[in-house]
This record gives sequence, C-alpha cells and structure tokens, in this order.
Amino acid sequence: MKRILKRSWLIFIVAIAFLCGMCFLVIETVLNASEWVDMPYNGHISGSGGLIQAGKITDRNGSVLAESVNGKRSYHSDAAVRKALLHVVGDDSLNISTAIQSRFRSELTGYSFIWGLNMPQSFRHGHDMELTVDAATCKAAYNQLKNYDSGACVVYNYNTGEVLCDVSIKTYDPNSPPKITKNNEDEYEGVYLDNSLSSTYTPGSIFKIVTAAAAIENIPDIWERTWYCSGKEEIGGGDITCVNSHGTVNLKQAFGHSCNVVFAELAVELGADKMNETAKRMGINANFKVSGIDTKKGHYDVSKANKNQLAWSGVGQFDDAVNPMQMAVMCGAIAKGGTPVMPYIISGNSGSILADIGLSKTGTNGKTLMSSSTAEKLGELMRYAVINDYGESMFGGLHMCAKTGTGETLTGSGSDKNDGWMIGYCKDSEYPLAFACIVRGSSRYGYATAGQVAKAAVTQAAKCLK
Amino acid sequence: MALIMDIAVVALRMLLPVYTVVIVYQIFAAMRRRRRPERPLVLLEDNDTGEKIPVLFWENSIGRARGSDIAVDDPAVSRNHCVLLRRKEGWFITDTGSKTGTYVNGKRVVRRTRVNIDDEISIGNKDYAFKRGEEFDEELQSSWFFSKVSNKPAIQPYKIMILVSLFHIFMAVEACFCDGAKDFDPAVLCGVLVGVEWLFFFVSKVILKRVAFELEALGLFFTGIGVMLLARQELRSSYVQLIAAVAGMVVFCVLIKFIENPDRIGRWRLIIMIVAVLLLGINLVFGRVTNGSANWVHIGPVTVQPSEFVKIAFIFVGASTLDRLQTKQNLLEFIIFSAICVGALALMGDFGTALIFFGTFLLISFTRSGDFKTVILALTGAGLGGFIVLNLKPYVLRRFQGWRHVWQYTQDSRGYQQARTLTYIASGGLFGVGIGNGVLKYVAASESDLVFGLMSEEMGFISAVTIAVAIATLFIYARSVTTRSRSTFYSISACCAAGLFVIQMSLNVFGATDILPLTGVTFPFISAGGTSIISCWGLLAFIKAADERTYSK
Repeated sequence: MKRILKRSWLIFIVAIAFLCGMCFLVIETVLNASEWVDMPYNGHISGSGGLIQAGKITDRNGSVLAESVNGKRSYHSDAAVRKALLHVVGDDSLNISTAIQSRFRSELTGYSFIWGLNMPQSFRHGHDMELTVDAATCKAAYNQLKNYDSGACVVYNYNTGEVLCDVSIKTYDPNSPPKITKNNEDEYEGVYLDNSLSSTYTPGSIFKIVTAAAAIENIPDIWERTWYCSGKEEIGGGDITCVNSHGTVNLKQAFGHSCNVVFAELAVELGADKMNETAKRMGINANFKVSGIDTKKGHYDVSKANKNQLAWSGVGQFDDAVNPMQMAVMCGAIAKGGTPVMPYIISGNSGSILADIGLSKTGTNGKTLMSSSTAEKLGELMRYAVINDYGESMFGGLHMCAKTGTGETLTGSGSDKNDGWMIGYCKDSEYPLAFACIVRGSSRYGYATAGQVAKAAVTQAAKCLK
Repeated sequence: MALIMDIAVVALRMLLPVYTVVIVYQIFAAMRRRRRPERPLVLLEDNDTGEKIPVLFWENSIGRARGSDIAVDDPAVSRNHCVLLRRKEGWFITDTGSKTGTYVNGKRVVRRTRVNIDDEISIGNKDYAFKRGEEFDEELQSSWFFSKVSNKPAIQPYKIMILVSLFHIFMAVEACFCDGAKDFDPAVLCGVLVGVEWLFFFVSKVILKRVAFELEALGLFFTGIGVMLLARQELRSSYVQLIAAVAGMVVFCVLIKFIENPDRIGRWRLIIMIVAVLLLGINLVFGRVTNGSANWVHIGPVTVQPSEFVKIAFIFVGASTLDRLQTKQNLLEFIIFSAICVGALALMGDFGTALIFFGTFLLISFTRSGDFKTVILALTGAGLGGFIVLNLKPYVLRRFQGWRHVWQYTQDSRGYQQARTLTYIASGGLFGVGIGNGVLKYVAASESDLVFGLMSEEMGFISAVTIAVAIATLFIYARSVTTRSRSTFYSISACCAAGLFVIQMSLNVFGATDILPLTGVTFPFISAGGTSIISCWGLLAFIKAADERTYSK
C-alpha cells in the first residue's frame, strides 16, 4: 500500500503541471486580454452598435473628431476634416484596421480586464481619447492631396514626438461610407489603408540622403571631390540618366540638383555591403510602432543586385521602398543629431488602461540612425538644396532643410504614375517640425506636387505651434 | 428603475465568482474535516523483542523489501513475502510466493487464511502476535491534507446542497434576465435540476445511508453548471444533458455497489476487457465521421461515444488488489489492452481521447509497478506512433501549424476556435458577461471543446479558473483519502481516475486557449455530451469507493 501511495507522485506531477499551465494561462490573459478583445469578429463590439458607448476622440486643441450622441456615432462637423482624419480616427466599421476606433475600440468603449465588455448601459462609460493631431493642419494637407490619386502626408514635432498631421488618400467621408462592390472597387482601391503607416513607395531621389550618409561616413575626401555629369552615364551595362546635364558638380551641388549620375557612381563605389549596412542602420528595413500601431517595413537590399541595379538603388530606384512615417522619422533624426524622438498619436485618455500598458506616454528616443556629425552634414546638404534649388520663399520664411524625389514606379504606365516626394524638417527652434509627403499619379516632379502638400501642411502646422 | 435593475444585474454577476470560490472551499474544507482520528487498525507484536508494529492499511505488504508496509529485516524473509489484508469478514493473510512460507499458529498458509486476534503469525525466523489496534499507544502522523484541521465541525451536507442549489438558481436568474430574453425556460430547467439534485441527496443519505456527500455535491455543482450554461444555447440539449447526468448518477451508485468486494472484481476483469474491446470494435465499424474523427455511434435517435465508457473499463482493468499485484506482477495483459484501446482510438482519428488513455496508462502502469523502464518504453513508443500519425493524417499536422500562431489563422480551421475562445475570455473579464449574454456560444463546439471559454465569458475568469483548479484538486483529495482505502484496487483506481480527469481537463482547457494543440476533448462534468457526463460520474465512483466510509454501515 505504501509503495502504491508513494508512486502516485507521478500523478502529483501531472496535477502540478496542470497548475503551472493554469498560471501561464492567467498571466497570458492578464497581459494580452486588451489585445485579444480588439478583434473585428468580436460580437461585443463589432458593428456601429459597438461604438454607441465609445468615448470622445478630440484633436490637440480639443476639437471633437468623433463622439457618440444619442446612440449614434458622429464625426467632425467639417467634411474636409472628416475625410482628412478618416484613417487616424476610423469610421463605424472596423475596416481601417490601424485607425484608433478599430485598434483601440475596446478601450474607447471602456473595456477593462476586470469588468469585461458587457456592463449594463448605466454603468458603462467610454474612455475619451485625445490625439496629438491638429485638425486644421490635416485639413490643409488634405485640400492639397485630394487633387491626386493617392498619397500621404505626415508632419510631426521632432522634439516631442507628437504627430500633428497624418493624412492619407484615398479617403471617404465616415458619415457616409461608400458601399464597395465589384463595380466600384477599382475606384476605392486601397481606401482602407493609412498610406502614411501601412504603405511603402519607391523613394526616388529622397533616397540620396541615405547614399550621401554612406558616402560621408566612408569616403574621406568626399567634400573635395567633383564629378562631371553629361546627363547620362553607362554603369554596369545600362545607362543612368539625369534630367539634364549638370556639368561639373561637388557633393552639395549634386545633392541640390539631384544628380543621378553622381549618386549612382557613389553607390557603386561604396559597394553593396556598405550601402546595405547604412540603409539598415538608418532603419529602412525595420518597422516601429506609433502609439502601438505598426508601420510597414521599407526595403533596401542590394546583396544580390548587379552593378547597374546597385547604381540605380543609390538613387532610390531598383526595388527600394520606403514608408512615409519612416521618412519623417529619418528627417527628425537628422534634425535631432542622429537619434530621433519617436512619433506618437495618442496624447491622453480618460481611462488608465493605455497608460498602464505604456502607450500614452510622450515620445521616447528611438534607435540612433546616424552619428551626429553625419546628421549635421546631411542637414547642410538639405539646407543647401532648399536655398539653391527650391527657394527659401517656398515655406514662407521658415528655415527648412529638405529633399524632393520622384520615384518611378514599376507598375505605373507612363510618367503619370510617378511618386512625387518631399521630405525634410524645419531648423527653427520654435517650429521643430519634420515631414514627409508623397503624392502618386502626377506627371510632374516631386517638387511641384508633394512640395505643395508639404508647404500647406508645414506652414499650417507652424501656425498651430505658435 | 432601470438603474436598480442594472445594479442588481451587476451585483449578481459579481456574486457568482465569489460564490464559486466559497462553494469549492466549503466542499474541500468539509472533505478534510470528516475523518476519524489516525489509529492503527491492528498491530503485530514481535514475540522476541516486544516491539509493536502498527498495521495502518487495509492491505499491507510484508517482506524484506524496504518499501514494504511492514518491512522485516530477516534474510529468511522474501522481498515480497505475504500480504496481510482486511475484508468485511475479518483479517486474512495470503502468501505471495515466498520461499520459506508463512505460518499462522504453526500451520503453513496455502490460500488466503483467516487471522484472529491473538493468533501467531510466523514469517521467516520471526514470530508475531496479532493484537488489537487499541493497544498501540504512540501518535501517528496523518496526511497533510487532513492534518492541522481546526476542531470546528464540518459543514452539514445539506447545507452544502443548499449552497449548490442556490448557485444554480442564481445562474437561472441570470439566464432569465439576459439580454433579449423573453421567456422563463431556464427557470423551469433549473427547477428540474434542483429536484434531481435533492433526489440524489435523498437517495444517498436516506436509502444508501452514506455519511459523506461532499464528493457528490462537487459533482452535482459542476453538472448543474454544465446544464445551466446550455439553457440559453440550446434548451433541448440542456435537458438531454440533465437526463444523461441522472443516468450518470445511477451508474455512480451501481458501480460503487459493483466494486464493493475487491476480490470478486478479479473475475470480471476479462469479461470487461472483452466488452471494452468489442465496444471500440463496433465504434470502428459503425462509427460515423464527425469533425474528422469517427468516434460517434448512432443508435436510432441517440448518439453515443463508446470510448467514454471504455474509460471506466480502462481504470477498472488497470487497478488491482495488493495480493494479486504481488503474485502477478506482469503488466503484459494491461499493456496489450491499453495498446488496443489507444490504437483503436487513433484509427478513429480521436487523438485527444487516445492521448487521455495513453496518459492514464502511464499513470496506472507506473503506480502498479513503479517501473521507470515501462514508462520510458511507452513514451518512446508513443513518440514513434505520434510521428507516424502526423505523417498519415495531414489534418492533425494542420492543427499543429496553428498551434501558438492562432492569431495568424483567425479565419480558418487552424485558429478560428482558439482565437475566439481567447477573445471572449478577455471580453468576459473577471466577472463575466452573464449567463446567456455570451457570443462564444455561436461558435461550433463551444459547449464541449471550448466550454472553458464559454464559462469564462459568461461566468467570469475567476469562476472558470476556480472550477478547473477544483477538478485538479480532486486528485489531492483522492490521494489523501486512499491512505484509508479498503484495497489497493481503490487507491490505484481513485488516483488514476483523478489523474485521468486532470489530463482530460488539461487537454480541454489548454487546447482551447492555444497553450496546447486543440484536440477536441471534453471538460469533465461541464462539457455538453451525454456519454461524457455518464463516464465522469462513473469515474467519480472510483474516487468515492476509495473512501473507507463509503461501505461502512
């Protein structure tokens, strides 16, 4: 009998294993419950009914972007603001997965792990959320962007990390969401994507910032060198072309004129390893979170590229891809001496859950993308480009550093599918703004298209900081 | 007015989890207290030294082996010399193949021989006088489960029954007033349920004259939860479940009676094995494929899962009395039987149940033999078998693909059920959304395979975890109560039946919550399923039988 009883320790082990598993389950549940709840299929919150009890969403000035009144969700009174902020705020559906109303629906409706989701009406109180965005800035950006097929505009404060503007096109009015059917799905292609967070584009000439960074760090006599650009040059069996012949240029002039020949040569001279290393260090292949929402990874990998492809990659063509938010952060890093303050979009909420899980805190420092001396030199190049090529007057007296670009998309038919870019930052200490604007579907160059969007957004953002 | 309603709803919701903890605590506290003080049953007095050896168990091994209940340090004594056992009629001694023989009053023991007080038992060179237990005057240590119990009298069984019934009534109230409810069907159901509970209590107390009722109360508590959870999902199946539970309680009583005499059981072993194999055979031939496994047999309007009944047979065949254990140490018969069971279940594609059988096989064979080699050999064999299964049955592998990655597969079979279980566990919070307000109930198999999620969503995470832990704690109870079992048959069967519950519940809870791959087994007592609940009550009978008071009149 004693022996039998002794041997039953094996069952004890089974019971203890079960209890350990139970502890594991409890810990997992406590840690992840708020994520598990926010699923589009969750019957307790899905549909417009799920938002009946949701709290208010306001912009940085307290302007109401969305609130629930009399059992109905209503959005900002200005249609342009509604459309501009659709992808940030979201609509009644859960179609825009990165929007606040989708991603944080349970928090908005007052979810907590203790009380769950089905409290009786009289006890429910939604949590309000305050965002960092400025409705007026977003509207200004939207009014420019709406002239194009698709695009995005991001402006953020590189000192604090607050995102002031995040507008994505295509868009629609959340008060009357379109019924998307087989017949009109082309018209609304990509409408549920927040392009500034969830899309990548061919960078074109803005990638010369990365190539320049690699050159500054690896070629000691880079500032003494000059190149001759005849408008095109054969590298690795194919021509690298410029818009026109730039003649003899130094690095600053090459950067300002956006000379493809010079930067293609630099990429080849630096080689695949150094280009890959620099791009990786500057975060091109990585993603990050903006208030818990993932950005899409960019892409730069020339380890298998031939010489011609390597050359094109140096001017942002080949299969390079970058994300708008990521580009804004890169500019923020240049402005901050190499280490960016990471952007965030939720500045506060009435419930404490977000604070508990560390989302509502202010901007934190990100990874160092470049050395401070490289950042300073890149800043000089971008400043030079503004003064000599775009014109200081463009931004109405703000001291800007910027770079434009035109990405030729492989899918596009002809030149009207170009991606026009402008990214940069403002040097003025009162207006610590970094931005990235992308416009798709214009035959014109980045300066003329994205530049106008950037101008509108940045000047309005500067007003809001006054 | 609406506010008062809402306050009442929330108060009731918060009450249930607290109440769950109270009931489980009260039942286990009562189990600890109802126990007579630890005294030796009889004692053996060494005629040469005068040393008094307490005899603690109903079945005691005597031999040179150090693990023997009564270890005799004498080279003339065999390692497992003989077994001293108590039966209804009195004390007996059986020689288990010793070299030098066992003698009672100078007469060599051939078969089981009666021993009376003051008889002389001779083993090797030792002579012992067989004395009454009262003559032992030292303190004995008792199992920690029963030690340090305060002197407060245990809660009366009828009070526990009131607690349990009231709990089910509260569940019915919640179900009657759930969102969008228009009828009072759950109240009627609850009335029937409470009637069944008290009828069972009456039968047990008055007709069968059982002293303790805690174990049955725990079973009723869980069964009632399972029935009430179904009330707002499918009323018809909740009645089916209740009827099956009644059948289970009958099986419970009959089985206890059937195994009353541990010596008579041996004769049934072969018959039961054949019946079990036949059941599985019928299942294999006539089984209809449901959800990828053919473990259901349809007889007219009734569908049964024969493998559930085989669980009872399995424990029955695995357990054995001590004298039989010592004479027939060979596990071969049981190993072959287990292999047939596990193999048949694997052929049906019911890998969850096969896993339960295999785990229980390991527990039983180790408890019987203490042999690690058997365990390791079996594990290796199972590993190989599992490898072959994964190669032959691609849908099992598909399940493994989703395992720990369910959030990538929320829309297909690899993660659909688990992801929803987790989402709704989280949606329920600590106190639940209330009976009938859950959404998980619209997901297939939520009342059986995913019932942990359903409980958690509607009754709250606290309740669900408490109930799961309570079933696991049943093992600790079984283990503690078996020190007083009337035979090793009961200790082995009780411990292993409790072990089976734990294994089955682990597969259910952890499968549904993506900690283990989803294998689709039931949660003991609570999952909907007629055969399942019958077998749970049947297995509970083994634990009940291990308590010596069950058979005392």
